[in-house]
Amino acid sequence: MSTFLEILSPSYLLFPALVGTAILGLVCPLIGSYLILRRTVFLGLTLPQIAAAGVSFTFWLQQTGFLLQWEQGERGIGMIGSLVFTFLGMGLLGYLEQRRKGIAEGRLAAAYALAGALTILFIVFNPAGQIEVLNLLKGEVIALSKGELRLLAAVFGLVLMGMLLFRREFLLTSFDRDLAFLSKGRQIIWDVLLYLLAGVSIAVGVILAGPLLLFGFLVLPALAARPLVNSMSSFLWLSSVLGLAMAFFGFYSSVRLDLPLGPTDVALGCCLIFLAYALRRISPKRALALIVLSSFALWSYGCGTTTPAAPLPEAKALSNETLWLAKVKNSTGLSLLLPSNNPLRSLAEMAGKISSDYRQSVMDLLREDLRRELEQRGFRIDLPEKTDARFPAFPADSGGAVRLAREGKLSGLIFISEIWRWEADSRQFVRVFADFKLIRIDDGTVLWERRIQRAVPTPSATNSGQASTDAATAIVHDLFTG
Amino acid sequence: MDRLYGTYLTSVRQLEVIELGHGIDAIQSARGRVSKDDSLPLVSLQNLTLGYDSEPVLQNVDLMIYPGDLIGLAGPNGSGKTTLFRAILGLLPILSGALSRNCPLSNFGYVPQSAALDAQFPLSTAEVVEMGAYGRIRPYEFFPAAEKKQIGKVLEQVGLRQLAARSFFSLSGGQKQRILIARALMVQPKIMILDEPLSGVDEESRKSISELLVGLTRHSGLAIFFSSHDIPMVRSVADRLLRVDKGRIWWEKKEVEIHP
Repeated sequence: MSTFLEILSPSYLLFPALVGTAILGLVCPLIGSYLILRRTVFLGLTLPQIAAAGVSFTFWLQQTGFLLQWEQGERGIGMIGSLVFTFLGMGLLGYLEQRRKGIAEGRLAAAYALAGALTILFIVFNPAGQIEVLNLLKGEVIALSKGELRLLAAVFGLVLMGMLLFRREFLLTSFDRDLAFLSKGRQIIWDVLLYLLAGVSIAVGVILAGPLLLFGFLVLPALAARPLVNSMSSFLWLSSVLGLAMAFFGFYSSVRLDLPLGPTDVALGCCLIFLAYALRRISPKRALALIVLSSFALWSYGCGTTTPAAPLPEAKALSNETLWLAKVKNSTGLSLLLPSNNPLRSLAEMAGKISSDYRQSVMDLLREDLRRELEQRGFRIDLPEKTDARFPAFPADSGGAVRLAREGKLSGLIFISEIWRWEADSRQFVRVFADFKLIRIDDGTVLWERRIQRAVPTPSATNSGQASTDAATAIVHDLFTG
Repeated sequence: MDRLYGTYLTSVRQLEVIELGHGIDAIQSARGRVSKDDSLPLVSLQNLTLGYDSEPVLQNVDLMIYPGDLIGLAGPNGSGKTTLFRAILGLLPILSGALSRNCPLSNFGYVPQSAALDAQFPLSTAEVVEMGAYGRIRPYEFFPAAEKKQIGKVLEQVGLRQLAARSFFSLSGGQKQRILIARALMVQPKIMILDEPLSGVDEESRKSISELLVGLTRHSGLAIFFSSHDIPMVRSVADRLLRVDKGRIWWEKKEVEIHP
């Protein structure tokens, strides 16, 4: 289990994702502050959705053959769609604003609904790769590569520079347009520049981090900072600091508790807002004491190591009883079949000439690795289906497993495994949630149990099948070594 | 970039305007025609018609503002006081007549009604005053130390130096108006235009703001043009009184008290 210091190490596998999230946490609140102060916060919600529509539109175009395959990969194509749609959307909303057609909130709400609908429709039209497109739209920042991190750093670095260089102009045009006109001439230049910076950040951020996380970083830190400050300069820096805190602690909680990053960060951001309003109600001294205590508690929680799990009892201690290794139960609702290495068999399977039974599954891999590991530890392994071929996979529920074993007239020990979640979203890691138990059949005692719930790194995998194979090996290794 | 921005600012600042009732086009064509003659009025309005969407609000406006003038504009709410101010400041195109300015727009100090500013902004008093200097500072420059000193000076001038770190929107109505006057002074103006500076403030603040305005005119030769719907109050402060009502505008003769 990772501690806070571990994830801060550059050698940590998901370090690029952490840095990427931190960059978003630092820069997005600066833009969001102006969106909130200008009362155009819904623009921060609508533009990411428009960008998402652009992503799904370009994938649909690519699938239908209107767009050539591009070497830069899926995210590159998606980014172009995201940029084009964001700026077209901004242009159209700006035009309608100037023509004063309808009310501002109404226009934004309609644009949001339309963009959301288009996003789904383009995904539905896409004849292939719906899951891949959905994954891209989710914008898993956790799968950020080093190249994408460099792009993110370059774009957001420029945006940060723009926000710092033109902070006075942005403040003046946002706060008092008449004084801005008298001091700096036509303020449209500064409006355009501010929305240009917002547009670029949103278009790039959506494809790399997803609409939810981006919107969260745009508005939540600024909303949390607002009740705590009395000046614009402190508002901007506190928004960024809270954005960074949201990025670090959200990332850490996501890794440690195996939660999706976007919703975790957003939930944490909302907690910050409640905390900020609570702090405002108490005296500054008490507020400071509370902040120090909370920081200490968080630090302890982050740096603390988890209690190591109890080791598997030794085979000798169990009087060399027969250990029945049950089939691994798949409770994910997915087939978890590994892709075929033989293209001819794949074609035959697609044509319906042969069934998919010949393909190995994650459950087979896991059971094979478990068998090898347990045999090496001196256990005498047997398989329940050898006594009766009708034996199904055993459930992780101890009572149910023991009952099934007794009905099958098994005696000795039984090792059961159940997979609740197995997602190879990216080649870099597999999200796993599985239970393992060693039970004595005679008295139903659970001698040993482990739950694995984490993202398992698979850095050397070249495809999802390889990632699953590597993940199964790593899990079985961790299972018995603690 | 430095040169480019310098050229842009110069063109904006040296925009001496002779508006001839053709709106923005007239402003654009008048670029660069700057009169340096101090005997000329700072602002001159001749037979001006003002309004919105070709609908006149004020007609036949004739007005000259010279350095050191303290002119009050009195009239009921909605009579066109703010419309006149916005036209003088170039924020509203004129419908007909002629408007000329003898100094660039950046020399106009404008004090809006404090209620018109958005209280959502977390601004300290010093930050509000600082905005008056933004026209002189390029985007990539640090805020100069001399300007920081100037903030202290103008706050001193309005008697609120001790409130520099306070939140602007937590101040009383009268204090906010004085801070906005300090911001206008920070512009280093030749003429100051104040929209209802005495509305929504208590009696004591009214008195101190009135004294401040008179003092600024007398001691620094600043021209001041301010408005109010409180006619007796304007009468007591201003040197000259302009009345506005029902689309008409006229000068009111000020009665001179003769003491035995």
